[in-house]
Amino acid sequence: MKNKNKKSGMLVMPNRMYIFAVPALLLFSVFWIYPVLQLFYYSFTNFNGINYNYDFVGFKNFARIISEGSLLNSILNTLLYTLIIVVVSNVIGLALAFMLNMGLKGTRFYRTAVYIPALFSAIVVGFIWSYVYMPSSGMVASIVDLFGGEGKWLNLLGNYQTALVSIAAVDIWKNIGTTMIIYLAGLQTVNESYVEAGMIDGCTDWQLIKYIKLPLISTTITINVVLNVIAGLKAFDFSFIMTNGGPGRATNTLMFSIFQMAFNDQMMGKASAFSVVSFAVIVLITIIMLIHMNRKEVEF
Amino acid sequence: MGKKKTKVSRVIIYIFLTLFSVIMLSPLVIVLSSSFRTPGNMTSPLKLFREFSLESYVTAFTKMGYLSEFVNSFITTAGSVCIIVLLTSMAAYPLVRIKKKSSRGLYYFFIAGMVIPAQMIIVPIAQVFGRLHIPNTRFTPMIMFVTCSLPFAIFLYTGFLKSVPVELEEAAFLEGAGLWRRFFTIVFPMLKPATVSVIITQGMWIWNDYFFPMVFTTKRTQYSLPVGMIQFLGDRENPAQWNVLFAACILCAIPLIILFLCLQKHFVNGIAAGAVKG
Repeated sequence: MKNKNKKSGMLVMPNRMYIFAVPALLLFSVFWIYPVLQLFYYSFTNFNGINYNYDFVGFKNFARIISEGSLLNSILNTLLYTLIIVVVSNVIGLALAFMLNMGLKGTRFYRTAVYIPALFSAIVVGFIWSYVYMPSSGMVASIVDLFGGEGKWLNLLGNYQTALVSIAAVDIWKNIGTTMIIYLAGLQTVNESYVEAGMIDGCTDWQLIKYIKLPLISTTITINVVLNVIAGLKAFDFSFIMTNGGPGRATNTLMFSIFQMAFNDQMMGKASAFSVVSFAVIVLITIIMLIHMNRKEVEF
Repeated sequence: MGKKKTKVSRVIIYIFLTLFSVIMLSPLVIVLSSSFRTPGNMTSPLKLFREFSLESYVTAFTKMGYLSEFVNSFITTAGSVCIIVLLTSMAAYPLVRIKKKSSRGLYYFFIAGMVIPAQMIIVPIAQVFGRLHIPNTRFTPMIMFVTCSLPFAIFLYTGFLKSVPVELEEAAFLEGAGLWRRFFTIVFPMLKPATVSVIITQGMWIWNDYFFPMVFTTKRTQYSLPVGMIQFLGDRENPAQWNVLFAACILCAIPLIILFLCLQKHFVNGIAAGAVKG
């Protein structure tokens, strides 16, 4: 008698297996996907979020957010914020990971020191840094005073030129530990024999990093960049907690503008139009990034 | 020639690491030192650890209603994480094992949810809650914690499940075990590293999240620790309130810090495993 399931490929995987995914799919569709579809619908109405007697207004919402300049301003702020956190977090995070991967003494302490801020809630971080940036009596101002500067004129959050960079710095402070830990794990997967081969061929330290280690952790780089880009495009916390979008519109990110319009101004139609455009921007950037980075990865 | 060079570069590396750690830790050290001062002490916070009093902590503790907030945080986080582990490990099973276009499509459908920010869709979500007559209780945010975690947790579990060989299920299959038994007795235990990773990464953001509890709870008795911090928003402009505010910040963060220091290895592996293997 022959067993028809002799080959492992014959193990039965029936379609009925999909039942395992049903609970997740149900929650996901009702509380995540359906609300997204609602946005597209509301973006053509003058719905205020409360009263269901609304009218269709065509593309009026879109025309308004463009003519007011709020859309372009938020997009530019968000892109600048994202660029700052992606570049700084990845360059410093990677450098730290290389240093902590050398087997030096005290590695554990430094790793913990860099990672600790990631354990704090964004709201607590917002409070702490509101103090750090406070004019005249805050930490930065006091330190500037200590060195003979004029700390009381230094208002980093209240200044158009510095506000956005300042909250991006807070984001980096909170999240760089996570980026570093992911890079460290990536470096630990590097096969030592490749590095040794490079050393035998007489590579300098810099060449070892550039031509052997970096290409070998290209997947990790992709993941960190993607995670940071997504976090940057979703930026909301520190505009909400620390600056309330100000001064003026200097720290209005896409997500903060949408929240502000929907909750404070009760203009759900306008907020939805804003969301639809933001959604397009996020999807577009993610796709471009994934295509571009997939091409660069090295497979072993 | 090598030895001298390494010694010099080692010193440079230590200087960089120490400087960077000082930058990272200095705000926290100042906050910690100020939290031990009496509420009225308004001298410069840079004068570290000149006073040691628990008065600010007592004030913050009662003002926050710390015990009730802690319990709410704990229940919602632990509950959400358990549900997430169950739902997403199950969902990953057909997504990996069924090799068809439909399962691929479903996988990307879930993963795509990762790029959607909660702030964008919060009003329509609130409307769905309204239409389903879901009341605001301390447990209501859990629905959104679970939903919001689905994409990343499914991404993690599918990544791990791919490396669990199908052959393991074969023996059970030949003995006539059904799908459920195959999954829970053979596949799920093999996914332990992914489970640790899901618990750590999702547990951390849920514990720290203030956004969903802010929208979906109304009474103070329903607040979790982070959302309870929002009532201090007005205090941060007033240096006279700082010591109490800082004590509240420490009280809010301390449970997770203790947990991290005890389980450091699991945290580091959990965070990294998610990103590197996934």
